Amino acid sequence: MSSHSHHIIPFRTLVATGLALTVLTILTVGVYYIDFPDPINIIVALSIAVVKATLVGAIFMGLYWDDKFNTLILLMAFLFFFVFVGITLLDTMFRDPSIIVY
Amino acid sequence: MAEQAQVRAPHVQHHFASSDQQFDSAKMGMWVFLFTEIAFFGGLFVAYIIFRAWNPELFTLAATQLSTPLGATNTLVLIASSLTVALAIRAIQTDKKRQSIILLLSTVGLAMVFMIIKAFEYAEKFAKGIAPGAYYTYEGIAHESASVFFSIYYMMTGLHALHVVIGIGILLWIAWKVHRNHFSSEYYTPVEISGLYWHLVDVIWIFLFPLLYLIE
Repeated sequence: MSSHSHHIIPFRTLVATGLALTVLTILTVGVYYIDFPDPINIIVALSIAVVKATLVGAIFMGLYWDDKFNTLILLMAFLFFFVFVGITLLDTMFRDPSIIVY
Repeated sequence: MAEQAQVRAPHVQHHFASSDQQFDSAKMGMWVFLFTEIAFFGGLFVAYIIFRAWNPELFTLAATQLSTPLGATNTLVLIASSLTVALAIRAIQTDKKRQSIILLLSTVGLAMVFMIIKAFEYAEKFAKGIAPGAYYTYEGIAHESASVFFSIYYMMTGLHALHVVIGIGILLWIAWKVHRNHFSSEYYTPVEISGLYWHLVDVIWIFLFPLLYLIE
């Protein structure tokens, strides 16, 4: 039956993922000490974080071998988050100046 | 009727057709829980985004109070703990119980290292008067809403640290159950879904680290 749910992840794949995450952590700290101009540094740091999170999700959490419905649940969580951010910013970034900003 | 004649493994509950169906259902249930966890932390990330959009210069100033080496060390500690928990699941899948217990206890050890480093960071800030909300008394940051950054910092890292502490409890309980021979290559669902929880705690820190410590 559902052979996908009992995948045993190879030892080498797990260790290689751990090493890749370590290298990306060192990279993100290294990039921090290089002074990129303002929007670029945030984009670089977050891009590295997204790659790291994808590695953890796909390999360590086994989504790559898993029922794709579980990946869909995760993507829906992020979709929900972006809707939350988008609609909230439509309010907070376009407020009447008379409203006090903290 | 052929299916009903099969001998059912003792761990399969009566409302599931098979062990595989029970495993898939438990795992999907865990992913739904992780959805709610992302929504839970999501609220704090939204707060972070709004206040950073309002006060970009405050975030640059205040982040200088956070130690990048300590934050980076804690990131590496959590990545190592994710690897050990993934290896612990692999060990129980291949019936290596002793190895699985050692790896689960290593994960707990790394989680404790994370908490100790976090405690040093908090203690150093409290000593300076960098406390959350109304208790903020530090005057070293020239910005009228300096306390706002640290309220967000304490809420985000505090809620994350609470998850680490709960994770320590869950992993100790799982290690105990492996020791008592509750799990094997036939049935290891709780080990795997506890691992999913632990990896999510790691993923959240992967985002918290650059957003709080690496602002320039």
